[in-house]
Amino acid sequence: MSEPGVQRISALSGHYSTGKTGEVSADGSAGIVLENIEGLVLYQAAGWADTMGMVGVQIAKVAKAVSAPGPGQAVVGKRGVLLRVEPMKWWLIGVAAPEVSPEHGTTLDLSHSRTQIRISGPHAGEFLNRFLPLDLRERAFPQGSVASSVIHHVGVTLWHANGHYDLFVPRGFALFVWEGLVDVARQFGLEIA
Amino acid sequence: MKSRRLEQGGRIDRTKPIGFAWDGKSLNGYQGDTLASALMASGQQILGRSFKYHRPRGIMSAGVEESGALVTIGKDSGAEPNIKATTQELFEGLEGFGQNAWPSVRYDLGAFNSLFSRFFAAGFYYKTFMGPKALFGRGTGFWMFCERLIRQAAGMGKASREPDPDCYDHAHAHCDVLVVGGGPAGLSAATTAARAGLDVLLVEQDFELGGDLLNQPESANRQRKKLIADAQGQGVRVMTRTTAFGLYDHGVAGLVERVGDHLPGISQNLPRQRFWIVRSSHIILATGAIERQIAFGNNDRPGVMTASAGRSYLNRFGILPGERIVIATNNDSAYQTATELEDAGAVVSLIDARENVDSELIGLLGGSNISLRIRAAPLSVKGMRCIKALEYTTATSQGWEHGGVEDCDLLLVSGGWSPVVNLLSHLGYKPVWNREQACFVAPETDSTVFMAGSSAAIWNHEDCLISGQSVGAGVSKLLGCSVRQKKAPKAGGWVGPIKPVYEVAVKGRQLKSLVDPQHDVTTDDIRLAHREGFVSVEHLKRYTTLGMATDGGKVGNVIGLALMAEALGKDIPDVGTTTFRPPYTPVSIGALRGRNVGEHFRPLRRTPMHDWNLEHGATMTMAGLWHRPWYFAQQDEGIEQAYIREAATVRETVGLCDVTSLGKIAIQGPDATEFLNRVYTNPFAKLPIGKARYGIMLRDDGIVMDDGTTWRFSETEYFMTTTTAHAAKVMAWLEELLQTRWQDLKVHVASVSEQWAGCAVAGPKSREVLMASLDNEDVLSNENLPFMGVVETQMVGGIPCRIARISFSGELAYEVYVPSDYGVSMMGLLWGQAKIVGGCLYGLEALGALRIEKGHVTGAELDGRVTIEDAGLGKMASPNKSYIGKSLKNRPELVREDRPRLVGIKPKDRSKTFHAGAILCKQDQVSGMGEGWVTAVTHSPALGHWIGLGFIAGGHEAWKDTTAIVADPLRKEDVAVEIVSPHMFDPTGERMHV
Repeated sequence: MSEPGVQRISALSGHYSTGKTGEVSADGSAGIVLENIEGLVLYQAAGWADTMGMVGVQIAKVAKAVSAPGPGQAVVGKRGVLLRVEPMKWWLIGVAAPEVSPEHGTTLDLSHSRTQIRISGPHAGEFLNRFLPLDLRERAFPQGSVASSVIHHVGVTLWHANGHYDLFVPRGFALFVWEGLVDVARQFGLEIA
Repeated sequence: MKSRRLEQGGRIDRTKPIGFAWDGKSLNGYQGDTLASALMASGQQILGRSFKYHRPRGIMSAGVEESGALVTIGKDSGAEPNIKATTQELFEGLEGFGQNAWPSVRYDLGAFNSLFSRFFAAGFYYKTFMGPKALFGRGTGFWMFCERLIRQAAGMGKASREPDPDCYDHAHAHCDVLVVGGGPAGLSAATTAARAGLDVLLVEQDFELGGDLLNQPESANRQRKKLIADAQGQGVRVMTRTTAFGLYDHGVAGLVERVGDHLPGISQNLPRQRFWIVRSSHIILATGAIERQIAFGNNDRPGVMTASAGRSYLNRFGILPGERIVIATNNDSAYQTATELEDAGAVVSLIDARENVDSELIGLLGGSNISLRIRAAPLSVKGMRCIKALEYTTATSQGWEHGGVEDCDLLLVSGGWSPVVNLLSHLGYKPVWNREQACFVAPETDSTVFMAGSSAAIWNHEDCLISGQSVGAGVSKLLGCSVRQKKAPKAGGWVGPIKPVYEVAVKGRQLKSLVDPQHDVTTDDIRLAHREGFVSVEHLKRYTTLGMATDGGKVGNVIGLALMAEALGKDIPDVGTTTFRPPYTPVSIGALRGRNVGEHFRPLRRTPMHDWNLEHGATMTMAGLWHRPWYFAQQDEGIEQAYIREAATVRETVGLCDVTSLGKIAIQGPDATEFLNRVYTNPFAKLPIGKARYGIMLRDDGIVMDDGTTWRFSETEYFMTTTTAHAAKVMAWLEELLQTRWQDLKVHVASVSEQWAGCAVAGPKSREVLMASLDNEDVLSNENLPFMGVVETQMVGGIPCRIARISFSGELAYEVYVPSDYGVSMMGLLWGQAKIVGGCLYGLEALGALRIEKGHVTGAELDGRVTIEDAGLGKMASPNKSYIGKSLKNRPELVREDRPRLVGIKPKDRSKTFHAGAILCKQDQVSGMGEGWVTAVTHSPALGHWIGLGFIAGGHEAWKDTTAIVADPLRKEDVAVEIVSPHMFDPTGERMHV
């Protein structure tokens, strides 16, 4: 299906403006940078107990990744990113799922179900631990890690990407979570990109 | 107490004066002061008034155990009561106030209470407020009458009733080793573990690291600096101003970090306090020990404090706390304090309760003018508002006898030391009594929590360092590190043994000897409780309120236990100990709630059309966590006019309603059909592709769980909708079934509630409106999309959508779903067309009116008590297949004919209304639980009067031609009603099949 001629409107649209605020350091640098990543393309692919390998090969191929990741892991491919979000489910970011036979598994378009918030800056991990009970120390949650967690009862998915974290928030809760992130980020010095 | 600031010495910075106010009076201190030290240096003696008797109170300690200088900091909405002045860091502009006193703590009319102190003994309330029955009725009537007066006369500080103006953070941290306490033992333990390669977090409640080293003369500072530098050099993460207030299972600790309590003006971006949850592999408690008081007459007078406090004010804060000082002790620890105070210029005398004092201690006093009396102990303090002299006793074979009187302006007491084992106790471990050291110590445990330093009753400074190193190395080994572990020192370390002394009294003398100063619990209260039959320490505690004040028993518990043991003729360990529970020190409620307040008290869920709805005049309401349009008022309409107009418009033309909040679940896989057939009561095996079916699912016990429609898009793809209220529950239920019962089924379920934005288009002109909004209007013809048909197509602009021709309103209606980011575009398209035909936007209130007219059930009816038969949907329970709940729904109690069944309700007098929640009764029997209840009420635009839904025994057939009464005992309104079929409008459904 081709893209509609109508623009997508993000859950955060009209609720923020870019710039710096809070305890920004004297040299103008912010401890936290938040970015609303618009136009998320997110598909879910799932296999059955005996077909996980086959589905993994298929999705790695469309993402142009070396392989499909194991639980709690992410693999960045040339065309898309694969996150293993559940024992039998992957998320494909930035690329549509391939055709998968029902006998092998299922795919599902979830592109509008989540809001992708990118968190970077020197205090990103410390900042996220203001909300998340996850062990984000480098040895426990290095780059390429994925986890499901909660922010004030809202289920979220966190991916530690190269130099930043991406938080996937259910769309209906996105503004609520964003408001909380902005509120807390001010103490670190906040830049909204 | 003639205290004064010394010209030099201490850790305060005399180049940085700080102005503050005490009870409105401007005073000065220095950076590094606490409020208590600054007040002491300013000559303030009476800083508080006691709980019951309004006895004058001064500074009793230099730490968290403070029971005298409880003050209020700040005013108006920022006022915080019961702050220990000994832990409050001084800052510019601080405003402190005395509390529980009028007009002030110095001259308090409440002191009148002390004249009646003999009547306010333990159990006063229980004994006094049981009657008289004739005047006040049964039970607590008299108490209720007296309570307000008593609350005004007794108590601690008053909290503001204004909203808390500060913000608070929550935070999480992880580490290999959590070290609690930044004294010598804690620092050495942390350094040792960090050196072994572990990730160590050290927390210290004080604003400076060093623990007891801070209280020692300047010469100790070099060692303090080295210990800190070593810890920092090994990468120990350090948090000062942070209290570990509770330990929990699996290495979890609760901390409170005071981020802004010491700052004159905190940035709005910073929290005042931060509540931490720390998860660690192992915990080392280097929490120190607290010096005990001794119970003797007027031992709470201003000018009586612990010996270690005297040392702290001298060496840390550069204050000479008195000019003529008596130090009463029963152990070695006070001797060094005595020499230091004399060196600073005080006249010092020591009285030691022990029969013998080791020559090493005598040698310590050599060359000084300190007088030493052995076999002596304090008996009573002379002086009404502050200490003037001490009457002491001497020990004889018959007990204590009057010894003499010595003038003094400060009495320092050391009755022994209590290791801080509170945190370990939080985990359920009972401290054990160490007879040699006369204190409770941590038991041997198999936990991952270890004690170091004086918290393990190690009194010698060098041994504390070794203890920390040893415990740090031991923990490191447990975590797989290769380190050398020194042998841990044993408890003890004094040159002479302690002589346990808990109370000093002489026969025939009536003394007011405080055990728990914060709650005004005296030695007499303990004995009274014993005489009245309280033999359990837990009962004693509750009867006397011993240890139940803000210090949590830090000061009085051991003395109370000792007195109870004496009264019972037992040893202390045989009496037992009370259980310490979190928090170790008080925690602000604000810190616990964090930022979850106001609009962020609970998660707020917005539909993609939230802003669009607001822009179009919606008044919102909560539906679970969702914000949904309630009604769209025009001009001066109130809710009633608005929803009646909206419902009428839907029946006449068309209405649009945001239904995004309905739960939506993708059911996928080769066994999806079989799965649904097992979950729903009605058959799904033969649901054609392109059709939807209404379904009911039951719980295992046969009660209705939820209802909704499920749409079939292919052999292996379904789209289930659920009620808004039960979306999460149904999703979890389906996952549970697949993961625990039917692992053989190849089915995946996924919530797509957030993926799709939904709009109900309802009314006679709904097809016309929707057709004009689609790329291809033919898909919507009656032939192509009959009732219960579903289709995937595109709206104008190529917006993908899925449509089902289903109706909750009873009109020709459609539910339209588009990917959420196109929700606003969808509403724009539909509203543009709806306006042309005179349509409206409608909210939850009109939605309710329309469904009540039709007798459609929602969560109000499906409340967890209702069977499928009760809901009038029994025909949907297939007799030909198996499904969840089938067996148990046939239990005798659930199939009784007289069970309450869903009915419609109409007032006999059509001008009258009634309320949901009221009970339905027989006309001649308006009492008790009635025959049923009302679940929903609305004004029906279609019928022109008020109607309702509810449940009544036997259903509407049983009430034919019988008047029932809607009884509303709360509002005292009874309305005669007729019970009818719940399908009160268009019962044959003609309107939705056009």
